Amino acid sequence: MKQIASSTALALAAVVFGAGCASGVKNPSGVPVTVMKPDEQGFVAGTGIESQDLVSVTDKMARSLLSTPEINNFPGGVPRIVILPVENSTRFPINKDLFAARIQAMLNSKAQGRMRFLARERMAALEQERQLKQEGKVTSNSDPNIQEFKGADFFLTGKLMSLTTQAKAGVSDYVLYTFQLIDPRTSDIVWEDSAEVKKQSIEDAAYR
Amino acid sequence: MSTFWRNSIAGLFLALLLAGCASVSPEEQAHRNRALTQFQTGATALRNGNYSAAKTDLDAALLVIGGSSAGDASAREARGYFNEESVKTFRGEPYERVMAYYYRGILYWMDGQPDNARAAFRSAAVQDQNPELGITQSDWVLLDYLDGLASAKLGGDGSDAYRRSLAEARLNKPPPYDVQANVLVFLEMGQGPTKYAAGEYGEQLRFRPGSAADPVAVVRVGSQQVKVGPFDDLTYQATTRDGRVMDHILQGKAVFKSTTDALGTGAIIAGAGVAIAGNSNTSQNVGLGLVAAGVISKIISAATTPAADTRQWNNLPNLLSFVTFKLPPGPHVLMVEFQDPNGQTRVTRQVKFEVVPGRDSVLFVSDRNT
Repeated sequence: MKQIASSTALALAAVVFGAGCASGVKNPSGVPVTVMKPDEQGFVAGTGIESQDLVSVTDKMARSLLSTPEINNFPGGVPRIVILPVENSTRFPINKDLFAARIQAMLNSKAQGRMRFLARERMAALEQERQLKQEGKVTSNSDPNIQEFKGADFFLTGKLMSLTTQAKAGVSDYVLYTFQLIDPRTSDIVWEDSAEVKKQSIEDAAYR
Repeated sequence: MSTFWRNSIAGLFLALLLAGCASVSPEEQAHRNRALTQFQTGATALRNGNYSAAKTDLDAALLVIGGSSAGDASAREARGYFNEESVKTFRGEPYERVMAYYYRGILYWMDGQPDNARAAFRSAAVQDQNPELGITQSDWVLLDYLDGLASAKLGGDGSDAYRRSLAEARLNKPPPYDVQANVLVFLEMGQGPTKYAAGEYGEQLRFRPGSAADPVAVVRVGSQQVKVGPFDDLTYQATTRDGRVMDHILQGKAVFKSTTDALGTGAIIAGAGVAIAGNSNTSQNVGLGLVAAGVISKIISAATTPAADTRQWNNLPNLLSFVTFKLPPGPHVLMVEFQDPNGQTRVTRQVKFEVVPGRDSVLFVSDRNT
C-alpha cells in the first residue's frame, strides 16, 4: 500500500507535468536568420498577400505580356508603356508599388528592348532637368527646346480583388489579380491576364 | 510514517514543479505584449499628429494580429491548465483589433491611398466576425460606411456598403455619400470600455462601460457648421458578443480547479478519519495515502489558473464619428467643439490644414491627448 500511494503521487506529478506544464519561453535561444526564396512560403504566414504571391503573379503577367502580339508587332517601333498604380480592392492593405516595380523590372530584363517604360513618376525631376538645360545652366547633348518626352502607347495597370469567407471551419481568402494593357488613344484593352490565389486557416481557440 | 513523508515529499516536488513551470520570463512576456504597446503608442502618436510614428507602430502591431495564430506556442500555453490566459501573445479582443485596422485605414487615406484605407476597413470588419459565435457580419457602422465611400470615390459602387451601414446604425444614421466632398474628418470621443475579470476564479472576461454614448461634436470650417453625433460605440461592441470560444476553455479550467480542490478536501478529511480511526498499519497507511493524494489534488487545484486575460488597449476612445466637407483649394482652419449631452463644451480642438486639388484632405480629431 505504501508503494501504491507513493507511486500514485509521483505518477500524478508526472502526468500533470506532461499535460499542463509548458516552458513559458518560446524559442529561448532565438531563431537563426533563415534565408527564404521569395516565392516560397515561410514560417511567418497569414491568409493575406505575401511575397510568394507577388512573385508568382508578376512572373506570370510578365511572361504573358511578352507574348502579346500588340507588343511584339507594334507598328510604331518600340512601344512606350506607362505603369499606373494597381487598385487594391482586397481586404489586405499592401504596398501597391511592389507589383508595378516587379512587373517593370521583369519586363525590362526579359523584353530585350521590345518595349520601353516611361518614368512618369519622375516627371518633376525630369522637367527640372530640362529647364536647367533650357536655361543653359547645365550642358545638353541635344536641343533642349525640342519636346522629347514621349507619350504613352499603352497603360499597364491592374486590380486586386478578394473574397473573404468566414465559417466555423476558419477563414478563407481568395484573391484575384487582373492586369490590363490599355491603348490610351482608343481605350481598347489590348491585353489582359489574371492570376488567383486562395488561402485558408483557422485561428487558435485562444483568440476566438 | 515513512510513507506519509515520502508522499509529502512527492507533493512538495509537485508543488515546486507546478510553481516553476507556469512562469513566463518578463522579457518573453514583454515580447508577447508588444502589439499592445504598439497599439497604445500608435494611438498616442496619431492624436499628436506624429503620423509617421503611428504608421510604424500600427504596422508592426498589424503584423502580429494579421498573421495566423495557428501553431502559436503561447496560445497553446494559455489554453493549458497551469498558465493564465494572459501568457498568450497579445492580439486584443475583436474591438481592439478593429480599432488598429481602423486607425491604419485613416492613415492610408491621409496618404492618398483610399483603396488601401478601404482594405484596412474591410480587414477590420473581418475581425468583428466570428461564425462560431453566430456573428457572420460586422455591425460597425463606420467600417461599412467608409468602405462604400472609398469605393464611390474610386469610381465604384458603394451603395451596398452604405445600405449595410444604415442597417447597423443605432446611434445616428450616416448621411448619403457626397463623392465631391474633399475634406474627411474622423472624430473620436470619450474613454473606451475597460476589462475586468469576474467569476470565482476571475475566469469570466467582463467590460465596464466607457464614457456616455450621447455627446456630440460641433465642427466648423469657414462658414460651414455641422453638429455630429457618434456612429459607433466601443462599449456596445465590446459587450454584445456573447462571449468567446476561449471562455469555454477558461470555464473548463475553473471547473477543473474547483473539482480538484473539492476532491482534495474530501480526500484529506476522509484520509485523516481513516488514519485516526484505523487500528492497523494498513488502514493507517491507506488513510495517510488519501491525505497525501488530497494534498496533491489541492496543489494541482492551486496551480490551475483560469483567470481571463484583462490586458487592454487602455487609451481607446468610446465613440467614433465622421463628417465630410467640400472646400476650395487653399488653407483652412477646422474648429471642433466636443460637447457633453447638456451642450456644454468639454474640449475644443483647432486644426489648420491645406486643401490640395485632386486628393482628399483627411483630418483626425480626438478629444483625447494621449
